[in-house]
Amino acid sequence: MKQTPLTTNRLQRLVIKAAGESGQGVNSVGEVFAKSIKESGLYTFGYREYPSLIKGGWASHQIDISSTPINSSSSHCDILMCLSRVSVKAYMTTVRPGGTIVHAIPKLFFTEEEKTFLEQNQIAVKHVPAAKIAIETGGMSVMANTVLVGVVWRMMGLELKPVEAVIASTFAKKPDVIEPNVACLRAGHTFDIGEFQLKGPVFTFDPTLESTMLITGNHALSLGAVAAGVRVFYAYPMTPSSSILSYLASIYHKTGMVVKQIEDEITVAQMGLGSMFAGTRALVATSGGGFDLMTETVSLSGMTETPFVCILAQRPGPATGLPTWTSASDLNIAVYAGHGEYTRLVVAGSDLSSCYTLIQKAFNFAEKYQIPVIVLTEKQIAESLFQLRDFPKDEPIERHFVPEQERSALVSSDRFALTESGVSKRWAPDMAEATYDANSDEHLEDGSLTEDAEPSQAMYEKRLRKANTLKMELPEPEFYGLKDAVMTFVGWGSVKHAVIDALALWNTERPDMTCNYLHYEYLWPLRTDTFKELIAQNQPMVLIEQNAFGQLGALLTQETGYMFKEKLLKYDGRPFFVEDLIGFLEERSSS
Amino acid sequence: MSCTHACQTGAPKIADYFSKNIYTWCTNCGNYGIHGALKRALVAQKIPPCKAVLCFDIGCNGNGSDKIDGYRFHGLHGRIISFASGVAVANSNLMVVASAGDGATFGEGIGHLIHGIRGNYNITFLFHNNLNYGLTKGQASPTTKPGTGMNSSPDGINSEPVHPMRLVLALNPTFAARSFSGDVKHLDHVLQRAMLHRGFSFVEILQSCPTYNKQTPHEWYQERVFDVGSLENYDASSLTSAMQVSADLEEKVAVGVLYQDKSRRPFIENQANRMEYTTTVVEEVLPFDIAELANTFR
Repeated sequence: MKQTPLTTNRLQRLVIKAAGESGQGVNSVGEVFAKSIKESGLYTFGYREYPSLIKGGWASHQIDISSTPINSSSSHCDILMCLSRVSVKAYMTTVRPGGTIVHAIPKLFFTEEEKTFLEQNQIAVKHVPAAKIAIETGGMSVMANTVLVGVVWRMMGLELKPVEAVIASTFAKKPDVIEPNVACLRAGHTFDIGEFQLKGPVFTFDPTLESTMLITGNHALSLGAVAAGVRVFYAYPMTPSSSILSYLASIYHKTGMVVKQIEDEITVAQMGLGSMFAGTRALVATSGGGFDLMTETVSLSGMTETPFVCILAQRPGPATGLPTWTSASDLNIAVYAGHGEYTRLVVAGSDLSSCYTLIQKAFNFAEKYQIPVIVLTEKQIAESLFQLRDFPKDEPIERHFVPEQERSALVSSDRFALTESGVSKRWAPDMAEATYDANSDEHLEDGSLTEDAEPSQAMYEKRLRKANTLKMELPEPEFYGLKDAVMTFVGWGSVKHAVIDALALWNTERPDMTCNYLHYEYLWPLRTDTFKELIAQNQPMVLIEQNAFGQLGALLTQETGYMFKEKLLKYDGRPFFVEDLIGFLEERSSS
Repeated sequence: MSCTHACQTGAPKIADYFSKNIYTWCTNCGNYGIHGALKRALVAQKIPPCKAVLCFDIGCNGNGSDKIDGYRFHGLHGRIISFASGVAVANSNLMVVASAGDGATFGEGIGHLIHGIRGNYNITFLFHNNLNYGLTKGQASPTTKPGTGMNSSPDGINSEPVHPMRLVLALNPTFAARSFSGDVKHLDHVLQRAMLHRGFSFVEILQSCPTYNKQTPHEWYQERVFDVGSLENYDASSLTSAMQVSADLEEKVAVGVLYQDKSRRPFIENQANRMEYTTTVVEEVLPFDIAELANTFR
């Protein structure tokens, strides 16, 4: 998707992009920027791009800065800070007209074509001998990054104190490098790069933002899991889910959680199911390829009515696809994974609050309905840096086991009893004298195997009835933006952020053409009351999804018969940028 | 939260493990002996059905999941070791027993066996080795002997069979034993030793299959098996001894506890972050205040 840059004044954002080779510390530089912006009393959003390589290629960490909350990125930056030659070439076209490239590369040459581009877009290129400055200041050449941060910070015209504090806390475990880093920062800050222009918005600072959290979706999911009473986590590393495993391992002395890296995703899923069967709360996480391997276990969870909760962090497929990029193309597999027909719940996080709360709700639903629950996220959610004051209030932990005083009266056939709701009583081994067989073969109410037609059909229907009961309990999708709008976007997952951020601009500029957004967090079973009201009102609707099939759209069509006439679909591994939305709306309004 | 009913107060009896469901195995199937020995071992170890989690893979043995009492889980083909390991991680107060055949253990799920042994999860694993796929009607398994004509390989298989014990011992297990479905008393004894062992207990059961394995029936094993206890000074703490004694599968077939390492702890007792914990993770599902953790992101 190609974006037309917007001016910073329209966007009311200033955008800094740190770029370099993978392994050059680009991500850390981005984090220092983001934290320093937060400490300065502003809002920020951090977006990472990186290759599937340990070293080399090019990577970036873009920090958007605003006086109002933002959760998405701009396609263009005002200052591109480069640590490597390749990254200059890769990212120069993402610099906004009138922007500046600040780099530390000696003898950087541009082709004629590149020169023309820079000239036409009035992009200034500033060289800073950062490594030399670092060494002269008493630091090491690796501190060139810090020198550049100082240079950029001066260009932004912000106070240096917050950055110094961030550097001190970043290197708290290596106190001897704090002082030289701060010295390099100051040296960068006093370095004269000559004339440049920076037409950033006028910021309003809010000192209370200093105490906000700056955190990724994976960390929010992890903390939500801890709050949900999850005591076991099994996973096999797979981007973009891996940081859940590494984070939960890093805090396991504090939580006491069993955190185990397992040999493959089939085992991950089976051990997860086994631990849930035993009556604890066990979580597993993976990405699409790993989830493929888990699907037989999802089916087993459905059949044996053993709760199962899996985080599916999406990236573009098929096969290995774009391992480190973003996508929302696994809704179909989440909804259809596993052979046979059974009840499941599919939910999708979008931001820190939803990730934190959804994972808690996922366990409550999984245990209440004794079903598999799949929690979808995307790389854009899993690994981007979001800002938040506080997490929502914790959900109560609802286990839905038979109350202790009623367990002595249980009989084996209670376990899979044919009920109207489809939900039968659940108790774990050692909780009651009445035992049962959780049987992957079709079974009777106590789990005994059967191949007879009548009881087989009855048990099949009992499991399916749970979907109706569950659906009644699920919330309708939520509206964002103005109630009265001439058009409604319909989507799920991370698209929410770009839409909301773009509509804040669009609805102000074009009060005659206001739009709103209907966001699906609970995707299967699918609630359609609100959607059907929109159909009845003949409301123009645009489907927006981070995939090519329009997978939610297809489910909505299947459930309601409505066919989307307009779709905005993106599947190049990049998230929706604000410019994607504004460009779409401008074109739509002029046609 | 444990069961506090009659089953816990008196010593369990064989009858407690009775199931009203009728067996569906062939006449003279080795599974009868295995079920009998399993019940005897559980009762001898004073495990009531409410504390026994009996996990079954797919195959003829799995069809027995509802022909015995206890909390039972009848899972997917090849995966039962991992499922049972997950149960054992969660609740060490349970006696977790998993059963699977030669196709599941050395075909579909060989990775689970290898890593289950490495992890030393506290389960007793009954490896039913009848040298064929019975339930799907007599196809070759990874342990079928070469040259044996089978369903789907009429001229015999031309792959080298797996030597189960050799592979298991190569993984440095903590418990490896072998028994024979025709000797319920011996199997009962071996299973009890396996249940007492804290860690992954691998028990190979040489099992007759009267319908599809005509080569090594009950009598064939009867004539060849000998218990390592009958050997003078057999050292079950020596891997080398175990490898030597278990090698022969044709003439003199060693049974009994071949190898045991009591020094290593099972997985759940080996968690660096849980040395102070006396509870199981089943008991620990409680609200957790994450404020302090969240503050590290401020």
